[in-house]
Amino acid sequence: MTQLPLAHLGHWYQSLFYLVPVVLVVVVLWFQERRERGRDGDAEDDEPV
Amino acid sequence: MRRRLLAIAALALGAALALPASALAHGLVGKQDLPIPRWLFAWAAAVVLVVSFVALATLWPRPRLERASEHRVLAVPPVVEALCGAAGIAIFAISVWAGFAGTDSASANLMPTMVYVVFWVAIPFATLLLGNVFGAFNPWRAVARGAAWLFARAGRGAEAPAPLAYPAWLGRWPAAFGILLFAWVELVYVNRDDPSRLAVMALLYAAVQLVGMSLYGIEPWTRNADAFSVYFRLFSLLSPLHWRERTLFVRPPLAGAPRLDPVPGTVALLCVMIGTVSFDGLSQGQLWTGTGGIAPHLQRRFLELGFGAEVALELAFTLGLLGMVALVAGVYRLGVTGMHSIGGPHDTTELGRRFVHSLIPIALAYVVAHYFSLLMYQGQAMAFLVSDPLGKGSDLFGTATTSIDYTLLGANAVWYVQVFALVLGHAAGLTLAHDRALVLYRRVRDATRSQYWMLAVMVGFTSLGLWLLSAAAQ
Repeated sequence: MTQLPLAHLGHWYQSLFYLVPVVLVVVVLWFQERRERGRDGDAEDDEPV
Repeated sequence: MRRRLLAIAALALGAALALPASALAHGLVGKQDLPIPRWLFAWAAAVVLVVSFVALATLWPRPRLERASEHRVLAVPPVVEALCGAAGIAIFAISVWAGFAGTDSASANLMPTMVYVVFWVAIPFATLLLGNVFGAFNPWRAVARGAAWLFARAGRGAEAPAPLAYPAWLGRWPAAFGILLFAWVELVYVNRDDPSRLAVMALLYAAVQLVGMSLYGIEPWTRNADAFSVYFRLFSLLSPLHWRERTLFVRPPLAGAPRLDPVPGTVALLCVMIGTVSFDGLSQGQLWTGTGGIAPHLQRRFLELGFGAEVALELAFTLGLLGMVALVAGVYRLGVTGMHSIGGPHDTTELGRRFVHSLIPIALAYVVAHYFSLLMYQGQAMAFLVSDPLGKGSDLFGTATTSIDYTLLGANAVWYVQVFALVLGHAAGLTLAHDRALVLYRRVRDATRSQYWMLAVMVGFTSLGLWLLSAAAQ
């Protein structure tokens, strides 16, 4: 009988902890990007490189 | 569009991190006694990267690395280059001879340790510190240059031009394919440790390089198609030492990376470099190779299709290897697509090429983190292997009876080096990407916004790397 890897949840549930910072960073950056887009009109004052 | 991107990003990173726990194929790690859980190091690493990102956005408003200058330090006479080339040829010849004439035992024969530890691992470490040293010792290049010099002398004229121009469209694709092939041998091929087979493969590789150099010219072929020359040269771009035409220059660390010419195949090569090392970690875990793991599951499928047990296992591992490379390429592509979403004149393909140099420190960080313990422990084997290269009882230098000291480094020390390497490598990648963004985008704000995505990619790669390493210690 074939055993699916997912059956061993107890072996790798701690792996999900490694995902937490990735998800947090993506969510925070997504909100930040939305805010930046809202402020795009003010960007004219920004100093060019 | 951004929602779809976010969903894909979450799925890709989720798949990367929720894959079964794994060990490092070549990581020799004992029991660790860490003060905090290993996953907390991933959180701390993410904090360091975010702080680095903020610091770059506020304290680094002008490109610095793109315009960094270098200073001449010294020049070496041509005879030194000739001696280094001769040494490279001699080391290559002795290793191949050991492969053919020595014992079949992988641990007692010089060839496997020379290939998998000295060549594959020690040279990248040396390259970071000393610059592109492999260029001087490259045996097939030395043979080709020697032959070209002899022909020129026989003809009493200048060296003949190459019969063919190296095709621009080919770029670094041969190098990407070569590194993937080497990784396949190292991680998938069941006879990977057989010294005589390694010797045959080394000779075949050298022969292909000689044919390529004779057709397209020594330097164009070496710069683009000789997989190992290209691989080591990429790492040398991070070094503060730069060798050019027997002259040594000093430059700021990382300053060579922005000079990378992103010819076709460069993105693929970097993805292969990171993906194959990642698979090396993944492939040793219980849930990959153990009962009920992915590999046995795949192997059974291939057995049902009529393949033999050995071939079925190799096919399963080949799928894993290619899947990991595809995952790395996908995550990078997501970062680039995100960058493109903020606007600007650059399309996704161009952005992918313009930022690909930021993956070099990540590739090196993976190599350091993954193979550091192998180099520290198995590297010691060279002491007895040089005295007894065939494994047949000789003692040329009186060191044949030495052994590997496994107490040289503790498991905790190895772990801290690995974490430090990963964090430093990804911070360096962020720095290179930020510096390039300041050149590509007109406004500092756009440059910073474009790097939100690259930050997410870096945090993802860091977490993936730490997860792979931590699984090895379990």
